[in-house]
Amino acid sequence: MATGPLRFRTPHIEELPISQSRQSAGFAWVAVSTAQDDPAKNWGTTNRKRARASLGGQTEQQKEALSARVQRETERKIKELNSDNSRDVVIDIAKKPGQSTGGALKAGKTTGTKKILASGKTFAHYLDDEEAEIARTGRRDGDADAPAAAQRASKTPLARRKPRADSSASHSPAPLVAPMAPPPIPRLPTTDSSAAPIPLDGLDDDDDEEEDDEDRVPRMPTSVEMDALLNAPPLTYNQARSAPPPAGMPPPRRFCETCGYWGRVRCLKCGAMTCSVLCKDEHDQSRCLKMYA
Amino acid sequence: MARQKSLSTTVLPPNDLASRTLILDNGAHTIKAGFSSHLSSTPVSTTSCHVIPNCIARSTRDRRTYIGPELTTCADFGDLAYRRPVEKGYVVNWEGEKAIWERTFLANAAKNDGSVLGCDPAETNLILSEAPNAPVSLQRNADEMVFEEFGFGAYYRTIAPALNAYAPSPFPSTSTSPAGIPLECMLLVDAGHSHTTVTPLYHGRPLHPAIRRLEIGGKTLTNRLKELISRTFDVHREDHLVEEIKEDVCYVSPTFTRDLERTWKGGRYDGREVDSSVVVDYVLPDYEHIKRGFYRPHDTDVMNLRNRALGIGTETGRREHVVTLGNERFTVPELLFTPSDIGMRQAGLCGTVLQSLDALPEGLRQAYLANIVVVGGTSLLPGFVARLEGELRASVDEGTVIRVARAESPVKNVWMGGVRLATDEAALRAVVVTRQEWAENGEGWVRRRFAGKKGPGIEMSTPKKLLATVATCAIPIHSIKAGAAMGARKAVESTRMPSMLSSPTSYPIRYRTDPATAAIVTPAQTPDRTLGASSDPLTTAS
Repeated sequence: MATGPLRFRTPHIEELPISQSRQSAGFAWVAVSTAQDDPAKNWGTTNRKRARASLGGQTEQQKEALSARVQRETERKIKELNSDNSRDVVIDIAKKPGQSTGGALKAGKTTGTKKILASGKTFAHYLDDEEAEIARTGRRDGDADAPAAAQRASKTPLARRKPRADSSASHSPAPLVAPMAPPPIPRLPTTDSSAAPIPLDGLDDDDDEEEDDEDRVPRMPTSVEMDALLNAPPLTYNQARSAPPPAGMPPPRRFCETCGYWGRVRCLKCGAMTCSVLCKDEHDQSRCLKMYA
Repeated sequence: MARQKSLSTTVLPPNDLASRTLILDNGAHTIKAGFSSHLSSTPVSTTSCHVIPNCIARSTRDRRTYIGPELTTCADFGDLAYRRPVEKGYVVNWEGEKAIWERTFLANAAKNDGSVLGCDPAETNLILSEAPNAPVSLQRNADEMVFEEFGFGAYYRTIAPALNAYAPSPFPSTSTSPAGIPLECMLLVDAGHSHTTVTPLYHGRPLHPAIRRLEIGGKTLTNRLKELISRTFDVHREDHLVEEIKEDVCYVSPTFTRDLERTWKGGRYDGREVDSSVVVDYVLPDYEHIKRGFYRPHDTDVMNLRNRALGIGTETGRREHVVTLGNERFTVPELLFTPSDIGMRQAGLCGTVLQSLDALPEGLRQAYLANIVVVGGTSLLPGFVARLEGELRASVDEGTVIRVARAESPVKNVWMGGVRLATDEAALRAVVVTRQEWAENGEGWVRRRFAGKKGPGIEMSTPKKLLATVATCAIPIHSIKAGAAMGARKAVESTRMPSMLSSPTSYPIRYRTDPATAAIVTPAQTPDRTLGASSDPLTTAS
């Protein structure tokens, strides 16, 4: 059970309940979390890998945490995969021949559009701006939240404050006026909407909400709930992102870097997986990180 | 382009709708544009939709820049550098987008492909589509550009999935809805270029809390395919080529592990025969003789490949360059269903759909599971619909009905929906914002209006109709309790993984509210079309 060089100078022995530590007469191996925690164990190895391997192995959590660098690599790769422009290309839009007013029209007709046309913001900028805005106040496009924080601290002493009709400076008056005439949902003219159009006799519209037999039919939402759903504000960009799969899922699959089959063998130097000895040889020759060679 | 007329000479009264509507489905990959009119009654077909690449491309071989529709005139697509004004589905770079739009529908001069999209914005309504969950400032920019810069008379900006509700339903049904009436409930899976969104729609209106986005789209697949091909042949700079390869050759495999076994060439000690039905040789275009690549089954004889590369043995003596594609064919689209393959921490498409359903009230889940419509260019991959349906089937109770269908024209479906909305004057007038209203009320009001901030506008009878549907289901439950072929109780007792639904039986889902043309379509009656129909035999008859 060699986990490393024998170290017997252990005045302090702790039995930690992990699977790697085994019972043995007279002494017990101790697993300490990192080299930094126990200088007695650290023989001066700055090589984190050796320190990690020699100190009793890792738990699943440590493996996860260890891969911060790996995580950053994957994030970078994913961002590259999702990048819009193939490479950093600067393409000037040539002026269309025959433009009479040339420059003025190209720049935009009003100051607003001029600014929009000239802005070099990328999507990341807009997203950050929006996140900052949300962090600062509630969602600023007039959704139902009234950001109370936006009201200026009043200097009027409490006794003299007049009750302010709900007019905070940040609100545009539009949401407070009566809601604009809702465009009717276009639908076919229904002759008699209450009668059940399905020719099933014995059908009673009104008390079918309380169907409570053993085969439970899930309850339909009431009109109030439907209204709330329909009028709910749109989610922000980050809120709408799909969530990670539930934790019980199997770990992500790894594939061979050379041929694409399942990855079975991990390269010791760079951590890439290959499927077989042939692919591993090819990886070592051409694709492995050369700095270790 | 200089617009000679000023606004004051338009003949329209400021608050009236123009006769023609331009429907612009502004996607990240292509723009689908076309006209429709609410005055004419001729149905518009998808042939009048122009698909225009939404990009600015620079070719280092020709040393020319192709903007938007000019790309069709390009002869040599090799080494074409793209720049897209639409980032992640939203128009970010309005300078580029304006250039493309100008060449799309402002230019009155005849274009190379003879299209007749020229129009005068002041006399045209515009229906513009955008991706869901846009940052507010981008929406503001879009509104301002449309009104101020282009000067459209009236305008409606909507999220692209919502327009699909107005398109004809891809499920076979006995009633066809007239233009302007949206389908009652539909769960729309839009597999687009930048991402894939799942949007539940109710009468054409999106249920915002349940919209989910998976950040894998056609673009991700193309880039991943580029990386994989570049292991043997460097194609990092060839966007167009790799897109064509993806469209030609990639498919979604229903049995991933088995296909992966078939394409393995074996280890050192157990060499295997690769399956030539899966592995293909793709002949690359050289833009002189071959304009578009094609593929053929893998030729295992290496000498043949070498000969053909030298020009021996091919017709006309041309040199062929061949790329062999094996498991890339299906591992790339597998990303849509398992994004963790590249380390992305998001659930796959099936998981995203389930998350979206989770955000809905329980009673609606069955209704939406039975009406899943798939649109978007990426959904053209063979096997996509079947795979999605299979995965959903495995995640949900046995008794629930699942119907997944791809629209007849996934790329143009949003545009079709916009066209049908525009042909109904009442519907159009209800949603559109005229320039004068914008000037009076300001951009915040307009944005709220587009986001659907209509007050309690749904007619109260609607939930009753839904309840009526449920009620009809209640009766069959009783009737089939005795000889349950459905296994109703079994379904209730079955403890599947986070089972979304507890609805025990598959009952007929009526998805039209009109009693006049009420037709209960039971899945047993629907013939197989593009959907793998749920195989549950139903005992209820309509």
